[in-house]
Amino acid sequence: MKKFRLVALLASLVLVIAACGSDDGDGTSTTAGGDTTATTTSDTVDLNQGSDLTFHMVTHSDDGTFWSVVKKGMEDACTAVGVNCVWSPSFNDPSKQVSDIEAAIAAGSNGIGVSLASPEAVVPAATAAVAAGIPVVTLNSGVNDYQSIGAITHIGQTETAAGNGAGLRFNSLGATKVLCAQQEQGNVGLEERCQGAVETFTGAGGVVTQFVGPDANPEEQINTILAALQADPDINAVFGVGPIVAFRAVEACSQAGRECFIGGVDNSEDVTAAIENGEINFTIDQQQYLQGYATIITLYLNNTNLNTLGGGFPILTGPGFVDTDNIAEIKALVAAGTR
Amino acid sequence: MTTTAPAAEAAAAPDERLAYRGPIQRLLIRPEIGALIGAAVIWVFFWAVTDVFGTTAGVNNYLDVSASLGIMSIAVALLMIGGEFDLSSGAITGATGMLVVLLVKEVGEFGGAGFPLSVAIPLTLIFALIIGWANGTLVEKTALPSFIVTLATFFILRGAKLGFAKLFTDKVIVEGLNDAPDHGFWENVFGAVWIRNDHVWDSFLGGRNVVYGVLLTVGALLLIVGVLELMFQRRETPAQARMPVAVVGFAAGVLGLILLAATDGTSDNWLWGIVLAAGGAVGMYGMGAWRYERRADSSAAVNLTGRVGRNVAMGGGAIALGVVLGLILDAESQTEIGFLLTVQGFRAIAYAGLIITGVILLLGAARSAGKTSARTQLAITSMAAAAIVVVAFIVQSQADSRKFRAEFFAVIIGAAVLMLAFGVLRSTFVERRKPDAVADKRGRTLAMTGIAVAFTGLAVRLMWATTFENETIRGEVRWRIAVFYFIGFAIVASYLLLRTKFGSWTFAVGGNKNAARQVGVPAARTKTILFMIVSAAGWLVGMLIAFRLNSVQANVGDGNEFFYIIAAVVGGNLLTGGYGSVIGASIGAVIMAMSFQGIPFAGWNSDWRFLFVGAILLLAVLVNNYVRAKAEAAS
Repeated sequence: MKKFRLVALLASLVLVIAACGSDDGDGTSTTAGGDTTATTTSDTVDLNQGSDLTFHMVTHSDDGTFWSVVKKGMEDACTAVGVNCVWSPSFNDPSKQVSDIEAAIAAGSNGIGVSLASPEAVVPAATAAVAAGIPVVTLNSGVNDYQSIGAITHIGQTETAAGNGAGLRFNSLGATKVLCAQQEQGNVGLEERCQGAVETFTGAGGVVTQFVGPDANPEEQINTILAALQADPDINAVFGVGPIVAFRAVEACSQAGRECFIGGVDNSEDVTAAIENGEINFTIDQQQYLQGYATIITLYLNNTNLNTLGGGFPILTGPGFVDTDNIAEIKALVAAGTR
Repeated sequence: MTTTAPAAEAAAAPDERLAYRGPIQRLLIRPEIGALIGAAVIWVFFWAVTDVFGTTAGVNNYLDVSASLGIMSIAVALLMIGGEFDLSSGAITGATGMLVVLLVKEVGEFGGAGFPLSVAIPLTLIFALIIGWANGTLVEKTALPSFIVTLATFFILRGAKLGFAKLFTDKVIVEGLNDAPDHGFWENVFGAVWIRNDHVWDSFLGGRNVVYGVLLTVGALLLIVGVLELMFQRRETPAQARMPVAVVGFAAGVLGLILLAATDGTSDNWLWGIVLAAGGAVGMYGMGAWRYERRADSSAAVNLTGRVGRNVAMGGGAIALGVVLGLILDAESQTEIGFLLTVQGFRAIAYAGLIITGVILLLGAARSAGKTSARTQLAITSMAAAAIVVVAFIVQSQADSRKFRAEFFAVIIGAAVLMLAFGVLRSTFVERRKPDAVADKRGRTLAMTGIAVAFTGLAVRLMWATTFENETIRGEVRWRIAVFYFIGFAIVASYLLLRTKFGSWTFAVGGNKNAARQVGVPAARTKTILFMIVSAAGWLVGMLIAFRLNSVQANVGDGNEFFYIIAAVVGGNLLTGGYGSVIGASIGAVIMAMSFQGIPFAGWNSDWRFLFVGAILLLAVLVNNYVRAKAEAAS
């Protein structure tokens, strides 16, 4: 029985690949190609409807607060479209991620969602999956590599987009000079967040970037932000590029006796409370629920309808904003595990 | 603070192996002196290039950062003197902070134990002491390097912090210390904050600045008189007729200083500068004529040939070049001249660098000339003093901020006068070559009192705001209780190290453990107690962090052990053990905090931060090494 099912799956895969080939071969007329696909693979479509599809999510997840929301998004999408899903967290171990991808290929997966936090280790395995005819979507991290491995799309938030969003938000708040406070030095992602804010912020004073000490040294962070504020009376906004450092800016601004606009990236209990009290204006949310949900939907639609969501471009799940206007609803959603 | 402490040992042991050392030499071989010089240089540097660094708000900022660092580096310094390291000293601060939060959480809520703080805090201390005891016992029983043993403890604590946080709360942070029923009382113990902006002191005796200025001046005066008393040979009978000269001279000097500081740096400035200089010099000379034995006339003529002459020429040339560059380069120009430097920056560096180099060369030449001809020494010293005065007047006439025109000017003139006066005194009166119990005691008492009075003046300055200052300070001055724990712990630990049996044991086991054991020092016990002191200090810092933030993240403190060791080394403690000082480690912590916080105050690009810290570390160690080698060679 089980063997039969495997054979059926493989057969369907072969058909899908054939369909893809014919689609490509059809050339320019999209409507015609679409029609052809629909007619020639009609029994494949039948086969792939419903619970016969199995998708694998092979990520560097640590199953912490962030990734548990991604997982929830995956589960909800799988229930909604009625497919089987396998969640394989690697706990930041690239070698486990590679062997999980190989296992998924061997199991004849209908689609793999993969995060490329360690691209040099994981890209070959992901490329092998594409070569085996399995649709692949990268999520969370991998925006620089998804095209080279031949993935359908990348689903996540680019750091630059997060920074762009923060810059625009500070514009509308009326900030005139922003301190971009970093909690790590030489971290590409954090640099891109600050650079993104530089690109879109239009206030007269611009954006100054400063490393303010690591999260491991809370007192140093507070006092370094404070020193930057005391040294420059024009700064009236702080963009903390992490949840901890954004929360530290609250105390620094209060001690500096300055009405600051404060924005952060990602959420924490402290940040939520500070947004409720009006001490932090907003925090950027990459809406990671979407990274789980949209990955499954993309893979599903590719299997059933040969759609390529995103049209070859990455799909941004953020920046979404958590601010005073939506904090009450967001809190309920956080409790429900979807934000 | 304890600069003259070893005098007691020297004076108490009339052994021919212990040659008499003058007070300056005794000062220079103290471990903390290099750090003290370094701290002064860094402070003046940032004070000059920023607006806020020298204000109460600025001092408040970096002392706040140095508090946790300093408490730990003091404990780590004690352990280092005892010959061991503790790499778990960073992780223990976060571990104790997290533990106390978990212990007070309600039962059932995130694995909380539901204890009141009055139970949880002592339990956390016991936990810390057990860690320290385990470190010490393992090191002793296995004879493995403490580096390895405590590295293991570090990893265990680090893993346990993250593991338990995730296990109990499903998060990397534990929150909610303020939910504890007796939080109010304990917050006063560990989290008290003293906001000082609303303590304005304008009116009493004409204002805070007068009290501060008087205390600082009186302190400096007592220190000078004390040092003179330690340096020179007393006359059999003091020439009482000369006393008024000393008193009047010093009075005039003080008056000049006060009036100079009170100007905003314009018109009267020159006049008061001259009054200060003349008064100070006359006062010190009068003091010598009154109390000290006159030197037999030295017939050696002024001789500026050979190496001395070369150094004088080079020093003079460097100063002249600095002055010329300072005059021809545009002080305001922001034009880039390459390698990140503007004309303004280049001018500042060249100006300061050349003049400091020149003065150092001149003083070096004076020192070596002093061995043969007192007159030559005096002549060169006068040249250096004159050069400094010229530079001071140039700075004063070019500067557009009050701090350069009045405060900096007064300090430079004061320094030049001190230099010159000491030069005159040394060439005129006999320097003491043997202990003199009465003079030693009196000199030491005067000097220590002077330092204490001067520090009281500084405290007055920092603890009360003026209306003027409130208008210019950007924000609140919040003194946290952590700073007072830091100062208190420095005093207690210094006493422990220098004045108790346990302190002597610490030096002994760090110097040579087997030798120490053979003369009856309980080596194992001493080391274990030192490890326990470190983890107890970690507990204190953990409490301070927990009460400040109400929440503790799993990675708090990880990696900080590195900075504790650096602060101790910058403060003159040797990595090899057996030598060092608690005060040095405290100053080292303040240096680290100043270098970190100075960069945002100056608005510099923080990418260069660690380059800067590395340079300071290297410089501090080199200065320490140099000063100690020179001072030991001289004796």
